[in-house]
Amino acid sequence: MRSYAIYVAKRVLQFALVVFVGISITFLITHLTPIDPVEHAVAQVSTFGFSSPESIELLRQSLKELYGVGDNLWEEYLIFWRRLAMLDFGPSLSAFPTPVSELIGRAIPWTIGLLTVSTVLSWFIGNILGGLAGYYSRNRILRILGMIMMGLHPVPYYIVAFVLLIVFTFLLPILPSSGGYEMNLATGWTPQFVGSVLLHSILPSLSLILVGVGSWFMGMRALVSNIVTDDYVTYAALAGVPEKRLVTSYVMRNAFLPQITGLAMSIGAIFNGAVITEQVFGYPGIGRLLVEAVHAADYSLVLGITSIAIIAVSAAVFIIDIIYPLIDPRVQVSQ
Amino acid sequence: MTQISASAGHGNAHVLETSDLRAYYRMKYFGIDREVRAVDGISMHVRKHEIYGIAGESSCGKTTFIKAIAAAIRPPLEIVGGQVNYSFIDDDLYALSPARRTAIRWQHLSYILQGSMNVLNPVRRIHKTFEDFAFRHMHLPRAEFDQEVRRHLERLRLPAEILRSYPHELSGGMRQRVCIALATLCKPEFIIADEPTTALDVVVQKDVLAMIRETQHEFGSSMIFVTHDLTVHANIADRLGIMYAGRLVEEGRTADVFANPLHPYTAHLIASLPTIGDRHTRDGLHGTPPNLADPPKGCRFHPRCPLAMEICRHENPALTTLAEDHRVACFAASSDVLPIADGKPNQPEALEVER
Repeated sequence: MRSYAIYVAKRVLQFALVVFVGISITFLITHLTPIDPVEHAVAQVSTFGFSSPESIELLRQSLKELYGVGDNLWEEYLIFWRRLAMLDFGPSLSAFPTPVSELIGRAIPWTIGLLTVSTVLSWFIGNILGGLAGYYSRNRILRILGMIMMGLHPVPYYIVAFVLLIVFTFLLPILPSSGGYEMNLATGWTPQFVGSVLLHSILPSLSLILVGVGSWFMGMRALVSNIVTDDYVTYAALAGVPEKRLVTSYVMRNAFLPQITGLAMSIGAIFNGAVITEQVFGYPGIGRLLVEAVHAADYSLVLGITSIAIIAVSAAVFIIDIIYPLIDPRVQVSQ
Repeated sequence: MTQISASAGHGNAHVLETSDLRAYYRMKYFGIDREVRAVDGISMHVRKHEIYGIAGESSCGKTTFIKAIAAAIRPPLEIVGGQVNYSFIDDDLYALSPARRTAIRWQHLSYILQGSMNVLNPVRRIHKTFEDFAFRHMHLPRAEFDQEVRRHLERLRLPAEILRSYPHELSGGMRQRVCIALATLCKPEFIIADEPTTALDVVVQKDVLAMIRETQHEFGSSMIFVTHDLTVHANIADRLGIMYAGRLVEEGRTADVFANPLHPYTAHLIASLPTIGDRHTRDGLHGTPPNLADPPKGCRFHPRCPLAMEICRHENPALTTLAEDHRVACFAASSDVLPIADGKPNQPEALEVER
C-alpha cells in the first residue's frame, strides 16, 4: 500500500509538470505572435464611427484588463495562470465579447459525444475481432476480415469521409450531410431533438470507426499471435484448460494491457476535437471551433482549446497510470 | 477412460509405449516441400513407477519427441507414423477425439516444462492457475478444493502464502516448485518433465530434483525426464535413452549406460563429463549434429563416428537388445545388430494435424 502511495505521488507530480510545461509553451507561442488583441479590438470599434481619444484610451485600458495584457510578457504570464485556475481565458477575439470558456463550453459536448462513442466502439470492435483473428489465425472469415482491415487502414481519412458523404447523402440520400442537428429544432431533451442528433452523428462516427478500427484490429492481432506462442499459453493448453478460459484469461487478458494504454491516450485526445471530421460534416464541435479560431487569429480561443486538450491528455495518461497496477500486477514492482 | 487397459501391447505394466513414432516438421515454401525429420521411428516404453531419462544434444529431437507423446502437435509439426499408447487410455493417443484427449490432460498426464519463468500466467494469482488447471478434475466443492490444494502444498513443504502471489513475486526455484506442485496435484499416472532444472543454479537444482524424486515416489507416477545434462540423469533416471538426430541410439538402466556405454556417441558423451582430479584435456566430437532436413544416409552418426564402417554409410542399424535391458543401435557394437529399412513410413500422409 505504501509503495502504491509513493507511486501515485510520483504520477501526480509528473502530471502537474507535463501540464505546466505544455501550457507554458502554448502561452509563449500564442503571445509571441505579432497580433495585439487590444489594438485589434480597438480598431474594430473605431472603424464604425468616431470616438474621442480619451474614450479610446479608456477602452484600451479596460480591454487590456479583459485580455489580461500586462506591461510585459512575464506579467501577462502570471495573470494567465491566475485566470486559468478559474478556467477563464478572457473574451474571444473573433466573437467579441463572448468569453472563450463559453464558446468552448458550447462546442465541447458535441465533440465529447461523437468521439467518445466512436473511439470506444472502434476500440472494442477492433480489439475483439483482432484478438479472435490472432487466435483463430486459420479461420477463413477472420482472414478475409483481416485483409479488408489492412486494405482499409491506409486509406486517408478524408477520402473515407467523402465517399461516405457521396454515397449516403447524394447517391442514396438517407442521411443528413452536415450539422449536428436539424436547424429549426429547439434544443432540449425532446425525442425529436435527440433523434435528430443521433441521425446527424451516424456519418461522422461511422467514418471515424471505419478508419479507427483497423489499427486496433491489426495491433491486437499481432499481440495475440505473439502471445499464443508464449510459454504460459502453451502450458495452459497442454493442461487442458478449457478454451474459453484460455482465450479470455490467458490470451486476451494479456494482450489487452498495451491496448488499454492506447485507449486512454485516444480518449484524452478527444479534446483536440476531430478537426477534419468536424470540417467535412459541418459538426459544431471543438475541432471546427479550433480551425475557425486559427483562421480568425483568435489567439485566446486557440490558447483555451489547447490548454484544455493538454490537461485532458495528461489527465487521461495520469488516470491510466493510476489504475494500471490494478490491471497489470507487475507494474508496481518494476517501478 | 480411467480404467487401466490390459490390452496385449502393454501387459507388463508399461505406462507409455511408442512404436515407430515419427514426427516431422513439414513446410511448404513456394511449392518446395521441406521436411525436417525431428523424430524418426522411435520405439520405447516407460514402465510403471519409473523415471525414464532422455538425453541428447540440442536439436536432436528431444523436445519434438515430448511434443509427440504429449499430443502437443501444431503445424508445421505432424505425426507421420507410429503409435503412442498410454496405459490409462485403451486406444492410440492420436485415435482419441480431441475432447477425450483434453479430458486426460492433467488428470492422467501432466507436464513440468522448462523455464518456469514464463509458464505461469503473469497476470493471474497462483491459486487461480491451480483452479484453471485442476479444479475440473478434482470433482470437489470449491472450499474443499482450496483445502486440498493447501494440503498438497504442505505435503511438498511449500508455504500456503504463495497461492496469493503473482508469478513475478516468486523466485525462479520457487516457481519451478510451484509447477511441480501443479503437475502432481491430480496425482497423474504420467508426468512429462522437459528440462525442469535447466534454468536453475546447482543448489536449487538439487532441491528441485529431490522434490521431483520424492513426489514421484509418493504418488507412484511414472515420468519421462528430458535434459541434456547427464549428471542430472545420473541422479534421477532409472533408465536412460540417448537420442541422436531424431533416433534413439542407446537405451538401458542408467548405471549400465554409464558403466558400459555401447554406442560410440554415448561413450563420447560420458567421456566428456569432468571428473574431479582428472586433468586430462577432453576431446570433443568433430563436426556438428546433422541437418535433419537432409540427414545422412545409413546410420546418422556415421560422419562423426570414429568407428564408422562401410555398412554404416548405407544401412540404418536397428535398436537391438544386446544385454539385459540394454539396447543399442550400432553395427560396431555387435554383429547381432541388423539393418532396418531406412525409408519413408508406410503412410506418407499426416495422421494428425491439430491446431
